[in-house]
Amino acid sequence: MSVAQQPSSSAIPTSAPESAAPEEDIVLEVQDLHVYFYTQIGVVRALNGVSFKIPRGKVLGIVGESGCGKSQTSLATMQLIPRPGKVESGKILFREFNNQEPIDLLTLERNSDEMRNIRGDNISMIFQEPMTSLNPCYTVGDQIKEAIILHQGVDKEEAHTRAVDILRKVGMPNPERIAISYPHQLSGGMRQRAMIAMALSCTPTLLIADEPTTALDVTTEAQILELMRDLQREIGMSIMFITHNLGVVAQMCDEVAVMYLGRIVEWASVDDIFYNPKHPYTILLLRSIPRLGSEEHIRLESIKGSVPDPYTRVPGCPFHPRCPSFMPGLCDVEEPPETTVDGNARHTVRCHLYT
Amino acid sequence: MTTVPSDDILLEVKDLKKHFPIHGGLLRRVVGQVKAVDGVNFYIKKGETLGLVGESGCGKSTTGRTVMRLLEPTAGEVIFDDPKLGKVNVAKLDSKQLKQVRPNMQIIFQDPFSSLDPRMTVGRIIAEPLVINNVASGQALRDRVADLLTVVGLRPEHASRYPHAFSGGQRQRIGIARALALNPKLIICDEPVSALDVSIQAQVLNLLEDLQKQFDLTYLFIAHDLSVVEHISNRVAVMYVGYLVEMASTEELYHNPKHPYTEALLAAIPKPDPRNRHRPIRLPGDVPSPANPPSGCYFHPRCRYAKDICKVERPKLRDVGNEHWAACHFAEELQLAGVPRYGKSAHAMPLPTVPPPLPNKTKSESAPAPVSGD
Repeated sequence: MSVAQQPSSSAIPTSAPESAAPEEDIVLEVQDLHVYFYTQIGVVRALNGVSFKIPRGKVLGIVGESGCGKSQTSLATMQLIPRPGKVESGKILFREFNNQEPIDLLTLERNSDEMRNIRGDNISMIFQEPMTSLNPCYTVGDQIKEAIILHQGVDKEEAHTRAVDILRKVGMPNPERIAISYPHQLSGGMRQRAMIAMALSCTPTLLIADEPTTALDVTTEAQILELMRDLQREIGMSIMFITHNLGVVAQMCDEVAVMYLGRIVEWASVDDIFYNPKHPYTILLLRSIPRLGSEEHIRLESIKGSVPDPYTRVPGCPFHPRCPSFMPGLCDVEEPPETTVDGNARHTVRCHLYT
Repeated sequence: MTTVPSDDILLEVKDLKKHFPIHGGLLRRVVGQVKAVDGVNFYIKKGETLGLVGESGCGKSTTGRTVMRLLEPTAGEVIFDDPKLGKVNVAKLDSKQLKQVRPNMQIIFQDPFSSLDPRMTVGRIIAEPLVINNVASGQALRDRVADLLTVVGLRPEHASRYPHAFSGGQRQRIGIARALALNPKLIICDEPVSALDVSIQAQVLNLLEDLQKQFDLTYLFIAHDLSVVEHISNRVAVMYVGYLVEMASTEELYHNPKHPYTEALLAAIPKPDPRNRHRPIRLPGDVPSPANPPSGCYFHPRCRYAKDICKVERPKLRDVGNEHWAACHFAEELQLAGVPRYGKSAHAMPLPTVPPPLPNKTKSESAPAPVSGD
C-alpha cells in the first residue's frame, strides 16, 4: 500500500512493524466472546467466539448487516446486554493506561462500583438514535453535567463550565443557550452533537459509537464524522465504530472487522479491506454498493438469499448457503479457522479458500 | 415549462403546492402554514426514472403523496397521461374519475414493516387492489396473485403466509407485487430501499430495474441516498425546503452541478474508498423550517456563494441549457465541483472478484470435529 498517496487530512492506516507487535499498546482486547439469548422458542447465539483488539488511538470499524452481532459486541463491552441475553464465555480486557495490568470487564459485577466507574468515564458510548437516547425531561446541559459530577467529583458550577466547554468543542453554535435547552428544541444533528459532547465529557479512553450517523442526513453525517475524527486526534482516544455503511467505514476507520452471524469473518486494515479483500462476503458487500460516478451502468451484484433465521444453527461456515465459492463437503461441515493472509499478521480471514 | 414533446411526457407537475396549517392559541386558529411543498415543477418522460433527492423534511415524500393525491394539493396542477382518458389534471379530478386514473399510478412505501397489514395474508394484500377494482375474482384472482409473487421473486405458496413471516427484503417485494397488481404506468417509489441492508438493497434495486424493462414502467424514485439515486435514475431532481433547486440528467447533475446545494450534497457522500478521504464542504447552520423560511433564495444563509440579490429575490427554476434546470441566480457563472468520474480519478478502486471454489478440496484430517448443533 502506498502511504504517500494518502491525503494529509486523513488518519493513515498503518500496519505496525512486526517487531513492535509484542509491546503493542492495546486498549481493548476481546477474546472468544460468546453471547447467547435464551428465549422461549430457542437459543439465539448472538456472538459465537468474537475476538479482536483495538490499539490505542485507532479507530476499529465493525461492519455487517443487521443481526450480525455488531451491536451486541458493543453492549457486551459495556456490560449492558439486555435480558434474556447472557455472556456465556470470553474475556474483555481493558487497559486504561499503557503497561497497566488489564482488567477483565466480564469479571466485574454489572452494577458494581468499578463497572460504573468505567462506564461513562473510561469507556463511553454514542447510540444510534439521538432522539430516544436523550432524556426529554432534562436540559442537555444537566445531562452532560450528570456524568461530569459523577465521575470527576467537581461542584455544580465547575461542571456547568465544563459542559459548556465541551458543547463548544463539538461545534455547537451558542453553547450557553444549548446547555439550557431541552432535547426536543434541537435538530437531529444537534442532538447527535449533544450525545457526542456527553460521551466525550470525561475524555474517555475508548469511545463506542453504535451507528452514530445512520439516522442523519448526508450533510449532517459528513459534519459529525469530521468532528469525530478531529476530536479523536485531539484527545487521542480509541473508537469502536459500528456501522453498516461501507462509505463511512472507508472515511473513518483504521482497521475493519467484518462480521457475519456472530463471527468476525475478516479483519484487516481499512486499505486491505477495500483494496485486497479476501472473504467472499466482504467482496460481495463491496460489489453490492452502487459506485458513485461510474462511467457505464453496471448491474449491482446481490448476495443471494438472506441472513438465516437467528434460531437456526448453520453447520460449518455460517456463510456457506449464500456463498458463490461454496465447496460441498467442506464448507457445510467444518467451520473455517482464522487464517492469516499472505503472511500479514494484521489481516485474518475465516474461509476455507485460504486454509 | 418543457421543450420536450408532450407526447413523451407521462407526468408533468406544475407549480404544485402543499401547505399544512399550524393551529395555535385557545381557539385553535390557524396561526401559520408549513409550506412542505411550495411551487414544485418537474416532468417525467415515459419509461424513465426520475430521482427525487433531498434531506429529511425537504418535502420529497409529501410531493410523492400529493402527486398521487393521497394528500390534497393546496394549489398547482398534476398532468398525468392516462392511457384511456388522455391528459388529465389529477389535482382536479372528482372521486369517480380519480378511481379510473388511480390504477395507473401506484406507490411503494419506505417501511416494509408498517406498510403491510399484519392481519392479512400476503395473498389478500396483493389481491386487494384487484378486488377493489373488480379486475379478477375466483381462480383468475388466485392465478394473478401467484403470477405477481413469481414476478417479484417470491414463491406462489407464500400467498397464504402473513407478513411477519418475511424478512425486510421479502416484505418490500410484497409491496412491489401489490403496486404491480393493476399494471400501472407510473410507480412512485418512496424510499423503497432505505430500510434494507446493503445486500438486500442490491436485490431490490435490480428487481425494480428488471420490472421497469419488463412492464415498461416509469418511476418517480424518492430517496436520500445519492449513490442509489445515481445508480437507478435517468434524471435527478434535487429538493430543498419544499422547492426544486436543480433538475438534470443524472450524468449532468452528478458531474456538472449548477446549484451550490447540489455541490454540497455531492461532496458530503462518504466515498467507499479509504485512499480518497476528503473534507466535506461546511454547510453552516441547519435546514430552515418550512414554516418560517428565509427571505429570497431559501439556501442563501448557508450558501458560500451568496450575494446581495440572493437575500431578496427568490430564483426561479430555469433551463440553463440542455434540459439542465437550476434555481440559482448565478447558475451560469459558478464553477461547481461534481463527483469525479469513476475510473478517471487517481485512485480508481478495482472491483474485487469472488475467487472460484477450489477443486478437490475436502475436509482436513487434523481439523477439529464440527460443533454439534442442538
